[in-house]
Amino acid sequence: MISCTEFIPAYSELFKFLDKKGGKKAVNDFWNYLSDNFLGNLEELVKKHGIMGCWMYWSHTLNEEAADFTMTCDEDAGEFTIDMHYCPSKGRLLNFKHIEPYEDYCGHCQVLYNRVLEPLGFEQIYDTSHVNEARCKLTFKRKANK
Amino acid sequence: MAKKTMTRKAADNEYLHKDFHGALSNGIEYLDKTYGEEAVREYLRQFANTFYAPLKEDIKKRGLIALKEHIEKTYKIEGGKVDIAFSEDEMTVKVAACPAVSHMRSHGYQVARLFVETTRTVNEAICEGTPFAAELLEYDDQTGRSVQRFIRRVK
Repeated sequence: MISCTEFIPAYSELFKFLDKKGGKKAVNDFWNYLSDNFLGNLEELVKKHGIMGCWMYWSHTLNEEAADFTMTCDEDAGEFTIDMHYCPSKGRLLNFKHIEPYEDYCGHCQVLYNRVLEPLGFEQIYDTSHVNEARCKLTFKRKANK
Repeated sequence: MAKKTMTRKAADNEYLHKDFHGALSNGIEYLDKTYGEEAVREYLRQFANTFYAPLKEDIKKRGLIALKEHIEKTYKIEGGKVDIAFSEDEMTVKVAACPAVSHMRSHGYQVARLFVETTRTVNEAICEGTPFAAELLEYDDQTGRSVQRFIRRVK
């Protein structure tokens, strides 16, 4: 059995495997598939609770992933932000000495969540300038006309 | 209307996100549907040979005890029950129920048709290049109950 604590390297190696098969398109196709088939709970929560659904979803996942973060949700402003001080996934990948992370490992976050939330009326602002230090900032904001 | 803030340090929580099993299962299913069965095995072999390289070296150095420790640690983390019959030349691991499969079944995640390969192919790949061979003697798709055997290869 592959432990869930070993999932992140398994995920990164899957991206590499797909990239070798069909380039970045093959990786993106998988991310779209995963978003459509695995994030139904995020979609349900946001449909039911609006932006607060993001808070509910990530309260569960980020705590179980033992992330180092500050998360804010402002219902009036329709804005949700994760300020990731140290991403447990990317951090783990960077710490392994014997494996090389997939070059665009963090790209999956950008694709997966936006694919769910954009059709529900939210725009994504994703600061990836420090992903090589396992830091990033992800914001979803209600679109002006929604 | 509410405004909420939450700040956590890594040390505040244990790293154990079992929903990752569901994500891996989706990956296996996707490979199976898109690229075929052999792609699933090829991917898992690649992953195991890369990620478990230090374990493979340890098995070469210390023998089956290294694999026994790895398996015990894995199932302890996941809260699974294993019964291990061990000798220097042979080890049989009986798993009452796979914690990954149990989690997915109880949370409504789809269990991939070839999820069994995360045990069979991964065990085989871990043993590749070592003096041991892996066999999956029994596996139940519904629960992940299994009997896994590791045996010294005949020279």
